[in-house]
Amino acid sequence: MSEATSPRSRAVTARLRGVHKSYGPVRVLDLPELDLYAGEVVGVVGENGAGKSTMMGALAGSVHRDGGDIEIDGVHLASGSTEAAARLGIAMVSQEFPLVGQLSVAENLLLGRRPRQTRRHVLLDRAAVRAEAEAMLNDIGLDPRAIGVHREVRTLPVPTRQMIEIAKAWGREPKLLILDEPTSALGPVEAEMVLGLSRKVAERGGTVLFIGHRLDEVRAVSDRVLVLRNGQLVADLTPAEATEARLIREMVGGEISHGEPKPQAAEVEPYLELVGLTAAGLGPVDLEVNAGEIVGVAGLMGSGRSRLIHTVAGAQPATGGTMSAGGARYAPHNPGDAAAVGIAMIPEDRKEQALVLFASVQANVTVSILRQLSVHGLLWPRRQRDEAARITDSVHVRMRSVEQPIGSLSGGNQQRAIFGRAFATRPRLLLLDEPTRGVDVGAKAEIYELIDRAAADGMAVLVASSELEELQLICHRIAVMRRGQIAAILPHKDATKERIMTAAAGTGAAVDTTPPGYGASPTNGAGQ
Amino acid sequence: MSAQPVAPPETPTALPRPANHGMRVLRRLAESPEAGVVIACVVVFIVISLNAPTYASVGNLQVMGRDLSQTGILAIGEALVILTGGIDLSVGALAGLAGILAAWFNVNQGMPAPVAILITLLICAAVGTWHGTMVTRLNVPPFVITLVTYTTAQGLSLSITSGTPINGISPLFSNLSSYYIQQVPVPALFFFGAALVAWFALERTYIGRQIYAVGGNKEAARLAGIPVRRRITSTYIASALLAGVVGMLVIGRMNVADPSVGPGWELVAIAAAVVGGVSLFGGEGRIIGVAAGAILLEFIANGLLALHVSPYYQQVVQGLVLGIAILLDRVRASYFGRGRR
Repeated sequence: MSEATSPRSRAVTARLRGVHKSYGPVRVLDLPELDLYAGEVVGVVGENGAGKSTMMGALAGSVHRDGGDIEIDGVHLASGSTEAAARLGIAMVSQEFPLVGQLSVAENLLLGRRPRQTRRHVLLDRAAVRAEAEAMLNDIGLDPRAIGVHREVRTLPVPTRQMIEIAKAWGREPKLLILDEPTSALGPVEAEMVLGLSRKVAERGGTVLFIGHRLDEVRAVSDRVLVLRNGQLVADLTPAEATEARLIREMVGGEISHGEPKPQAAEVEPYLELVGLTAAGLGPVDLEVNAGEIVGVAGLMGSGRSRLIHTVAGAQPATGGTMSAGGARYAPHNPGDAAAVGIAMIPEDRKEQALVLFASVQANVTVSILRQLSVHGLLWPRRQRDEAARITDSVHVRMRSVEQPIGSLSGGNQQRAIFGRAFATRPRLLLLDEPTRGVDVGAKAEIYELIDRAAADGMAVLVASSELEELQLICHRIAVMRRGQIAAILPHKDATKERIMTAAAGTGAAVDTTPPGYGASPTNGAGQ
Repeated sequence: MSAQPVAPPETPTALPRPANHGMRVLRRLAESPEAGVVIACVVVFIVISLNAPTYASVGNLQVMGRDLSQTGILAIGEALVILTGGIDLSVGALAGLAGILAAWFNVNQGMPAPVAILITLLICAAVGTWHGTMVTRLNVPPFVITLVTYTTAQGLSLSITSGTPINGISPLFSNLSSYYIQQVPVPALFFFGAALVAWFALERTYIGRQIYAVGGNKEAARLAGIPVRRRITSTYIASALLAGVVGMLVIGRMNVADPSVGPGWELVAIAAAVVGGVSLFGGEGRIIGVAAGAILLEFIANGLLALHVSPYYQQVVQGLVLGIAILLDRVRASYFGRGRR
């Protein structure tokens, strides 16, 4: 089977034809034709949600593709089976490392297979496992003695775990090695090592799919750079063509015309003030949000967008700096403290973090105001139902009745119900994390309207989103984050996609675009 | 005989080494959850035997050995299931039912004892397969599906016998239970044998290491191509089979199949596993700890009898022991790294 049937199939490692995948109505991946050749490092770049992860998942079997055919060395790859993908020689290093913390480094490196140098099939050959694990670490340039192959993986720091994950994939001698932002958790030395390894795989005749968030790295390592946008392959560039400017242009696509600037409420008193705020993976951050103002938070995956929102909401402990809300010092220990001072958060994952899907609409929208609804601590069904009807009306939730399970509504309707619930607590500050994830285009517009309305009512709004168009459309100012800090704060009129992406990717020009007054806050450790 | 050290010049630098090494050993001991249980076993045994003269007598040790064959063997099967992140509440009731079934096949159906034993064990294996299948294919919580078996098995035991014990079972059963080898009762050997096999399977075979991987990080195991479902199901089968073995030993010991025996033992089995350092979240714990946990609980239970402690207080003491063991384990875990959560 593995015998090459024609000279062509030897040159092409992976042949993708008509591979596509949709989540609900959204087609997140659509690749009519793509060939990956042996002996090349293929860089893949794209904005968040451009389909990079889906493409890798389809190849590695962790994502079940809806249709299309993938051939590895001429052999058909079954859909959605990691075992099948592994058998055909595909290895993937994902961002969250699937390691077993309780097992030793050696056992993790050989997870699910036996060492090659053993004749035992049932009994564990510890010496062989150990020897092969050390060889694997040596192979990628790590000192096995420095790490200690007998140590439990959970006692190791994150960068080391990432390197172990890479060694694990490498040890399978893959034909196609998929690296998903492999350097995001690494320091410069290890990152350099990973780039070198990618080249080595290619020289050995393998193929590397290198998904990168840092454009300079991708350009340095790749023989060919693919750009994905909205699930489609928009550019297939040689290294010479792939300048940073070109890549950014391809990633963001044609600049869509800005929405008309929204009138900002006349009052400009700051409601939320952050000074030197730090938390795990965040900060120091200085930021002000005025009442009636919508401030966007942009940034790449892992730049601290969500962490900022969560820290302000009290869902993640702040480790330093000060926050004040409405002029008063504010130091939340949990989300309840945030709610008490009038801060409402709408989290990113509607199904996991915001709703009880099988419960009624009524129960879901009134859950945060039950105390106000109760009469001396007792709840009256009629009163609760009326209030639920009022809330859902105010945000135009389309449904049969408030008794209906909220899970049976469309994504947009669910999201509007969540907004209704947040508004019902009469918050002064609204925190939004990916407010339009998984809702269709029409529903998005309605949600933007709700956000505008909140600001018009005098709420301060802080909205983190991976969709730049969205931020450009609704925000008065956009704070761009990079590595846990604010790299730039751009007023609406200056916030072009190029400038946001440039600041987010951290290329040199970012500092120049920072308007005076809004610092990238280089004062490290301000709040420690 | 040559006592000459190989490298005398090393002595100046070698001086701090023993202390360092000693510290390392101490730390390793403190880090391993099993050490505490083993030490506790020794301390408890010494303290009680100093206060109760009959405690360390051969006769009493033999009694404890037989007791161990019951809860101890159950604890080993239970530990296997817990290692995968599951739990098996049915082991006690299933052991009871296995005894009843074996006796019923033997006495009421007139089957020879070996055939009765074989059929009963096959039924137990089927029950284990059923548990594993429900847990892995339909994602039924292990707690629920084994609770169903617990209730059903208990009910079946009572309905088969109409609540009265089955008499006149084949002498083979009591022979199994009443023989001694070098004064060690055969059932106790079953316990040590089961522990040895389980230890070997977990520590020295690929399948055993894969069970740890499944319990530690199911997703990682799946992505590494480990047959997660088969590994989980195999632990439920092992647990049910061991419960069957215990059932046979029990009716042999009493020479009668009593339908009221069995239910309740699963809690002792779970306690032994937890005291022995098995994490209820899965992926962590060793058989040596489980065996020591079972022995410790037996030492205490029997010791309280020997010390003439009121039966009412015996359960209180056992509960406290479990509480302290869990507390110490959490303290140790949080002290030596963020390990479990």
